[in-house]
Amino acid sequence: MFPLKSYEKAESVDHAIQLLQDNPEARPIAGGTDVLIRLRDGKTGYDHLVDIHQLEALRQIKTDEDGTLVIGSGVTFSMAMESELIREIIPILSTASETVGGPQVRNVATIGGNICNGVTSADSASPLMALNTVLQLEGPRGTRLVPIAEFYLGPGKVDIGQQEILVSFRIGEKDYKGYYGHYHKYAMRNAMDIATIGCAALCKIEANQLTDLRLAYGVAAPVPIRCTNTEQAVIGKPVNRDLIREIESLVEKDVNPRTSWRASKEFRLQIISELSNRVVTQVIEKAGGRIE
Amino acid sequence: MHSELLFGKGVKMEIRFKLNDRQYTIETAPGENAQQLLQRLGICSVRKSEEPSGFTGSSIILLNNKIVNAELLIAAQLDGHNIKTVESLSKKGGLSPVQKALVEVGVVQSAYNSPAAALVITNLLKRKPDPSRKEIMDALSCLFIRDTGYEPYFKAVEIAKERFKDPEYQGFIAEEFRSDLRIVGKNYPKVDGPQLVAGKRAYVEDRIQPGSLVLKMMRSPYAHAYISSIDTSVAEKTPGVAMIITYKNCPDHYFTTAGQGYPEPSPHDRKMFGQKLRHVGDRVAAVVAESEKIAYKAMRRIKVEYELLPTVLSIEEAEAEDAPVVHNGDIDFLSGAPDNLEQMKQGFDSRDGRIIYPFPIGADPHKNLASSVSNGIGDTEKGFAEADHIIEREYQTSQVHCTPLEPHSVYTLIDGDRLVIHASTQVPWHVRRNIARILGISENRVRVIKERVGGGYGSKQDILLEDVAAFATWKTGLPVFYQFSREEEFIACSSRHPMNIRVKLGAKKDGRLTAIDMKVKANTGPYGNHCLTVPMNACSKTLPLLNCENMSFDVRVFYSNIYPTGAYQGYGAPQGSFALQTALAELAVELGIDHLELIEKNRVGEGSVLEILRCLGEGQEGAVVKLASCGLEKALDLGSKAFAYGKKEESSDPDIKIGKGMAIVQQGSGLPGLDQSNARITLVSDGSLLVHTGGADIGTGLDTVCAKIAAEILCLELEKTSVVSGDTDNTPFDTGAYASSGTYFSGNAVKRAAEDLKKKMLNYAAELLAEPESGLTLEYPGMVKGSKGGLSFHEIAHKAESGTGRGHLVGHDSYTTEDTAIPYGAHFCQVAVNTRTGIVKVQKYHAYMDCGTPINPELAEAQVYGGVLKSIGHTLWEEMKMDGKGVCLNPDLKSYGVPMVGDIPDDFKVKFVQTDDPFGPFGGKSISEVSTNGASCAIATAIHDAVGIWLRDWPFTPEKILTGLGKL
Repeated sequence: MFPLKSYEKAESVDHAIQLLQDNPEARPIAGGTDVLIRLRDGKTGYDHLVDIHQLEALRQIKTDEDGTLVIGSGVTFSMAMESELIREIIPILSTASETVGGPQVRNVATIGGNICNGVTSADSASPLMALNTVLQLEGPRGTRLVPIAEFYLGPGKVDIGQQEILVSFRIGEKDYKGYYGHYHKYAMRNAMDIATIGCAALCKIEANQLTDLRLAYGVAAPVPIRCTNTEQAVIGKPVNRDLIREIESLVEKDVNPRTSWRASKEFRLQIISELSNRVVTQVIEKAGGRIE
Repeated sequence: MHSELLFGKGVKMEIRFKLNDRQYTIETAPGENAQQLLQRLGICSVRKSEEPSGFTGSSIILLNNKIVNAELLIAAQLDGHNIKTVESLSKKGGLSPVQKALVEVGVVQSAYNSPAAALVITNLLKRKPDPSRKEIMDALSCLFIRDTGYEPYFKAVEIAKERFKDPEYQGFIAEEFRSDLRIVGKNYPKVDGPQLVAGKRAYVEDRIQPGSLVLKMMRSPYAHAYISSIDTSVAEKTPGVAMIITYKNCPDHYFTTAGQGYPEPSPHDRKMFGQKLRHVGDRVAAVVAESEKIAYKAMRRIKVEYELLPTVLSIEEAEAEDAPVVHNGDIDFLSGAPDNLEQMKQGFDSRDGRIIYPFPIGADPHKNLASSVSNGIGDTEKGFAEADHIIEREYQTSQVHCTPLEPHSVYTLIDGDRLVIHASTQVPWHVRRNIARILGISENRVRVIKERVGGGYGSKQDILLEDVAAFATWKTGLPVFYQFSREEEFIACSSRHPMNIRVKLGAKKDGRLTAIDMKVKANTGPYGNHCLTVPMNACSKTLPLLNCENMSFDVRVFYSNIYPTGAYQGYGAPQGSFALQTALAELAVELGIDHLELIEKNRVGEGSVLEILRCLGEGQEGAVVKLASCGLEKALDLGSKAFAYGKKEESSDPDIKIGKGMAIVQQGSGLPGLDQSNARITLVSDGSLLVHTGGADIGTGLDTVCAKIAAEILCLELEKTSVVSGDTDNTPFDTGAYASSGTYFSGNAVKRAAEDLKKKMLNYAAELLAEPESGLTLEYPGMVKGSKGGLSFHEIAHKAESGTGRGHLVGHDSYTTEDTAIPYGAHFCQVAVNTRTGIVKVQKYHAYMDCGTPINPELAEAQVYGGVLKSIGHTLWEEMKMDGKGVCLNPDLKSYGVPMVGDIPDDFKVKFVQTDDPFGPFGGKSISEVSTNGASCAIATAIHDAVGIWLRDWPFTPEKILTGLGKL
């Protein structure tokens, strides 16, 4: 038994917001792979649940007239993997989705849940960070658009009100068109394992020059992060071995990993810089760059 | 369970769903999960396995044709949906193609996850009728499989896939042996396979009756403390609480949890509850109540005050001069008390209780010394003096866990004036003996029924929960169910003893060994179950692999406040093997000799005299053995060729270095001189056979071994041979399933009983046919043939049971022996080490095994995959992490790091090298345990071959690799 006091199924986003308003202790539940584990572990604050998992409105994957890719928060990792649109526009998210759990997790766990639980190891977080994703939240006072980098407030803490529902992820055309991306999950084992470090990169190359780079990490800090200093330092530079070496040495200053029983800080730093090399090399090559 | 009991007074809601094509309208409460709901509807195949994250996959169902964990679904989320469980696959009573294939390839062993596997593979083949290896791996990645190493599942998928196209398709299952035999050595479906893969009632948890009580254990938050006060009065008044047990009202009887033959070579150093707590998770109080919820509520009302004591975690801390004493109680001996006993127990603290030694095991508990032994052959000092080269190395192993998927479980009830124990155990008779003694009743009043066991691997050789549930039932008169949580599986179970092993080798320039010395220090943790025998096995299953005139060993075992240790497949041999075999590889490098050549120069073979066994008996004199069968030569030959051993391989990626390693391994087949098995075979009225064996089949296929041996000898179809086993009321005595004894002891007992029945049948047939007995033979299927006529088994049975008959025909016999049958193997592996990320990938692993005649080839093969993958796990990933206070940081399967399908070697192979052992039944020796002994040394050697560093402590993490390479 889960120690639940109430469970209500929302019929629509508005209904969900209404149910949350009606009960200040209520929280939304989507796939439940995190919430129910927390409940079972005896964590408090999950006694009253509003189920938004089946809402069709949250399960859409489409492009707007202005080219913005809109991914519903209730899209599961399986749906993301199978979506032709996602594979075509942002294959980095397809790859990241494949690394999540096993099929039984991917079939129910949603991208919205993955982001809203606020953990640094979320596999979808660093790709969405690299894509400058904007989160669309709906609440009693209307719509709020929050860039993902601002959404993370601290470990396990995100910028969402008790009466708000994360509706979708919005990725503007300028943030995906012409970009090539890659995600690499470094874990101790090959399936059903948590990331020791997750690394996502997107780049644009023109005339073998790096015209843009976005480098994001999971588990490299208390929340998923972008390596903005590194990015600024190298954008505009010609693509060559030195550039890769420079990125490798710069990223250490952007990150802040911790020692835990799983791995030491020193080890994580080594993996972070190694992954910057591997992942950036890969995206440059995908983008047609030549590393000489 | 009734819904009122389940929900209490809460909000209820009505949901509608389709389950296996039938429409249901059911009332549920907000907190009920889907797995519970399905159990309530009589679907027991969807199991919870007590893993909080749903990592194991045992609760997998199809929700709208998608694989999901029922455990992680609120029942109300099923509303309006279509649910399918394994029951949907075998609607007409027969097995589906996928289920059949799983049984055929031999993966339905402990089987707790077999129904889930059937569902997952069926779903995969529906989505992708011709899946790639990657797609199969992805599908299987939701299943935790500990017993059979995943590899045979690929074969099952292949066979099932073809069967969907052609129902008559016969795929290759496993190599068969002994063409002179009809049944033994051939692939036949495991006798309990169909029941298990269909998800029928089979395990302890499936026996629970409505109205049963549950037991929950309050456990110590501290690693070392006295209970200075405990008050259960408020808790006891909680409505629905039947009983609370603490050290104050438990039986005053000391015992060992080790299920070993009596007198045990383990100290009786614990009571059901003690005033002294010796590890985080030690028992404080048991709450027996009408529901889990009530039990936990009452538990929170128990008031305990602790007097904290300084803790001892490592061997170094335990052996320090002024170390805190883990067992500071009174000391007694049932035999062989030493002269200095008074001095030994001086200054004991009665709060520590007592230690009673059945016989001396070299202990000095007030110095934290749990046991010790040293011995040897020849003169090692002389041997080292004669050596051209000497190396001395130290190896460290970590605390790794058996992790059976079915948690430890027991269900106890009263039947008339007797106690019935439904147990998930490897040792039904030791459970009966111990429980009777603890309760102070005679053994005739206790019945132990070994149910199907969803994974044991050694951890169910210990009596970890039967005592307390039995006592609760005995006192209350009510049925009690107790099942470990996954956390209890880690903090209150048995695990591998961490060991520190120093190996000193002396050798001539040409590599011939002149002396071997092994110094083993082991950490037994809070109690001394198996404290002599596991650490000793680090020597007794490794030294006899080598021909060397001068060998010595010294074993010292210490008490500490780490989590409990005990038996685990391999039983000390994996640790000893890691140390000795890696030291040999290191010696080869130092001498500049080819590794294989060094092994060849020193290994034993057929005809070798194993002098060292004289001093390796378990608490008694051992017997010198002239080796009757040994497949090492062929195993090494096959392996070295398949791997081009010694040839350097290069990777196209400059960051990746490739290396090769190998090791030779052995185990035993039961404990000659200590073990005993009995069997009885009845010729049933229609001429079929009923085999009664005491052997405890813990999923390994022992029942199938017994059925095959009986059917082979008595020339009958396997389908007409049934086995009843492991029930102390209905089957004859057996010491149990440990020390790799099943095939050798229980199998030999069945063989003798079958021969006895055969003799009786022929004798009676001779009378009926009026022919001399010497002229009669048994003929397949089920006939006695003479020169003039013949009789079917049916006719013989019918006559025997008639009013003028001789009485029904029963063959029986027992098996004890002084003869030793040793299984051998050579393990080869190839690894790729990423020098920048530290990741070690096992690219290729082959196990060439000599288990004599593999009686169930496909089951034996699957078991070797399982044993190897476990030991790869121990070598590379698995580790119980503790903080400085002895608190476990990762007590769940996922963070503990068990290997999954994604972690298996790309090229994973098991091959049997058949030998004909004169003592084993049809030449059969043991398998399974022996397969866990090779990985750590083979991988350590391969890593060295790849990048030039020796890793001498488990697990070989990327962090240790990078540190070794100077990158951190």
